[in-house]
Amino acid sequence: MKNSLKERLLIYFSISMIIIVFPMGFVLINSLNLQEIADRRFEDEQFLQELQTQLIDIQIPLKSYLTSYSSSSLAKLLFIIETLNESIPSDRPVTSSNSDLIKREIYFLMDSYLVQLNQIIEQKRGRKVQQYINSYEKLINLYEYISNRIDDVSLFGFRVQLEEYRSFLELFRRIQIYGLLQILLATAFAFSVLMQTVNSIANPMYQLSLLAGKLSGGSFDIPDVHFNSVNEVNQVAEAFNDMKHNIHHNIEELKKQKEMEQQIMTEKVRNLKMEQLLKKMELYTMQAQMNPHFLFNTINTGVQLAIVEEADRTAGYMENLAALFRYNIREKQFFVSLRHELEGLKSYYNILKIRFPKTLNLLLDVENELLDSFNCPAMVIQPLVENSVLHAFKQKEGIGTIIVSVSYKDSVLLISVSDDGIGIPEETIKELLTPHTHDYKLSSRVMGLENVIQRCYFFYPGQKDVIDIKSDLDQGTEILIKIHTEVQPCIKL
Amino acid sequence: MKLHYAFFLPAEDHSFFSKLRDGAVDAAGSMDCAITFHPIDSDPLSFEMARYSGFDGFGLYLYEKNKNKLQYLSEILKEGIPVVQIENEVIQGSGSFFIGTNNFDVGKGIGKLALDTGIDTLNMTLVYSKKNPGVMSDRNLVEMGIKSVMGNKLSGLKTEETSLNSLDAGMLAYDLLKNDPSIDIIVLTDPNDTLVTVQAMIDMNLVGMVQIIGFGEHETIKAYIEKGVILGSIVRNPYRIGYSTVMALKEISLNGYTSAYVDTGITILSRQNP
Repeated sequence: MKNSLKERLLIYFSISMIIIVFPMGFVLINSLNLQEIADRRFEDEQFLQELQTQLIDIQIPLKSYLTSYSSSSLAKLLFIIETLNESIPSDRPVTSSNSDLIKREIYFLMDSYLVQLNQIIEQKRGRKVQQYINSYEKLINLYEYISNRIDDVSLFGFRVQLEEYRSFLELFRRIQIYGLLQILLATAFAFSVLMQTVNSIANPMYQLSLLAGKLSGGSFDIPDVHFNSVNEVNQVAEAFNDMKHNIHHNIEELKKQKEMEQQIMTEKVRNLKMEQLLKKMELYTMQAQMNPHFLFNTINTGVQLAIVEEADRTAGYMENLAALFRYNIREKQFFVSLRHELEGLKSYYNILKIRFPKTLNLLLDVENELLDSFNCPAMVIQPLVENSVLHAFKQKEGIGTIIVSVSYKDSVLLISVSDDGIGIPEETIKELLTPHTHDYKLSSRVMGLENVIQRCYFFYPGQKDVIDIKSDLDQGTEILIKIHTEVQPCIKL
Repeated sequence: MKLHYAFFLPAEDHSFFSKLRDGAVDAAGSMDCAITFHPIDSDPLSFEMARYSGFDGFGLYLYEKNKNKLQYLSEILKEGIPVVQIENEVIQGSGSFFIGTNNFDVGKGIGKLALDTGIDTLNMTLVYSKKNPGVMSDRNLVEMGIKSVMGNKLSGLKTEETSLNSLDAGMLAYDLLKNDPSIDIIVLTDPNDTLVTVQAMIDMNLVGMVQIIGFGEHETIKAYIEKGVILGSIVRNPYRIGYSTVMALKEISLNGYTSAYVDTGITILSRQNP
């Protein structure tokens, strides 16, 4: 069966119509048949009555002719005889119908009647009085008999007709009852089919509305719906499934985009933090620098003055100081070669040797082949030495020793600055080794050591051991910078 | 061409004529011809006009030699229309044929049954009936048949007659049994009369005192024979008579001739031949 709603309704409508139209058609056909039978019966009856009327019509002119020789009566008589001869059918089949057999009998009787009538006319013409009197008597008997037979066939026909009428009435009654039953059945059938069709549409629609409600609530894990309904509803269900999948897919895409945007935002924030840190570093660096140009020019003036006054030692001191400042001023890169870094340190050593010729012992232990092989963050060693000079030997008598060593082992460039000073308290070490967060507020009191430590953390964020402080009170302090040469610093400038 | 035959029969609706009609109708059905039945007594005009009615043949049960009817029959025969006389041959001639029971054989059958009583000399009362005119019209043949079989053992033969009234045989039986104690055996010629007479005899408690010879093969008659209430019964074959009549008419129509005399025979029912 077709599953389209339109086709289904068309088929059900057609079936219902057939069921209704069939009994109606049957009743109509039988009504027409009944009418036809009645018409035929009435036609036969009418024909026989016409015959009987003509027979009656014969009697008056016959009697008139026999009694008075009336030529007009004879003419009329002959006319009726001719008419009757033409009226009586010559084809008289023998059937099983009693009515037809009686009619056949009447036609033969009519033939005999007309023959005898002609004989009487001839006898009258021949003036055979006794013969035509006897013949007339016989003819009257025959006329009466024919009339009786016509009455018989009429009565018989009427009875048959009555019986047929009763049969038809009974048949019609049955047909009407069956027709009514069929109409009731058709109505029940149509109603049940209608309800079935309505249910096949309404139930899926109700389920779809429930599912749409769930879908609007964000439940995309509901299973696909499949209905065994009409095509239209099934197509709506398929469209609903497609819509659900598409909405789900689009929402997932939106989520992914949002996550990506979130990641981008996070990245941006991180970059911003990094920029802040960089700015901080720059600030640290700037803070760590004095006004180098002014000082450099001033120191150069001092060097020239010392030469004029022939103070060689002062001139050497000032020259080293100038070299140190030059190093600081010129160096704008974050990473420099080890050689470059140590040249700055040597200038600083020379200054310190002039300042503290008898109380400070400065040692430098670096393998020459390392100097051009590796880079290190700029301005890290000199501040550490400066930190030891400033803090390690306070309130300590005797000669202080500061050793700077650089070694390379297992892909690690190890820079060590150690002293035999008073050491650093553990709390201070812990505080110093704490990485600054982006919201760390810079103070004006940024120490050189802190500067170096934070820069190391910045350059190597994944390595917590990039810098370490080992210190024993009154024994000394060693600050270690471990640079994994295989690990790239997070920034290159 | 299909043919139309007319049967002129007594109007009585006794079993004999019913079966005769059944046989004729069945024969007409099997031989593809039409038959109509007409009363021969109550509508004499019908028989008078029969020759004008276009019939192709007649089956005629004319049991009395009525002048008019014989004249009409002669006129029919003059017209060349074939006629089969059933049971009673009232007229003989070209175009007329006979089918039925030979009533002499009926009488012989009655005589044979009467001898079965073992009584040396019998006083017999033979009751004719208008309900079965075929026997009554040939009463001489019947009586001759009885006498030819019984000879001097028949000491007396008295005849009575019942009308078309189906109950008058009862009254006759009462009268005979009360007023004539010399009767040894009563012979009925109609099935209805047989049943009514036997009932009267039972009512008068004379069963066994007077022997009864019945007519017909009604189931009740057969039961009485089996019980010994009735000595026996003469049975004709009306169905065969009706059937043979149509068959003969058809044969005449097709070939122009048939066997002029057909005896459909009788059957004797008794305790020995139920």
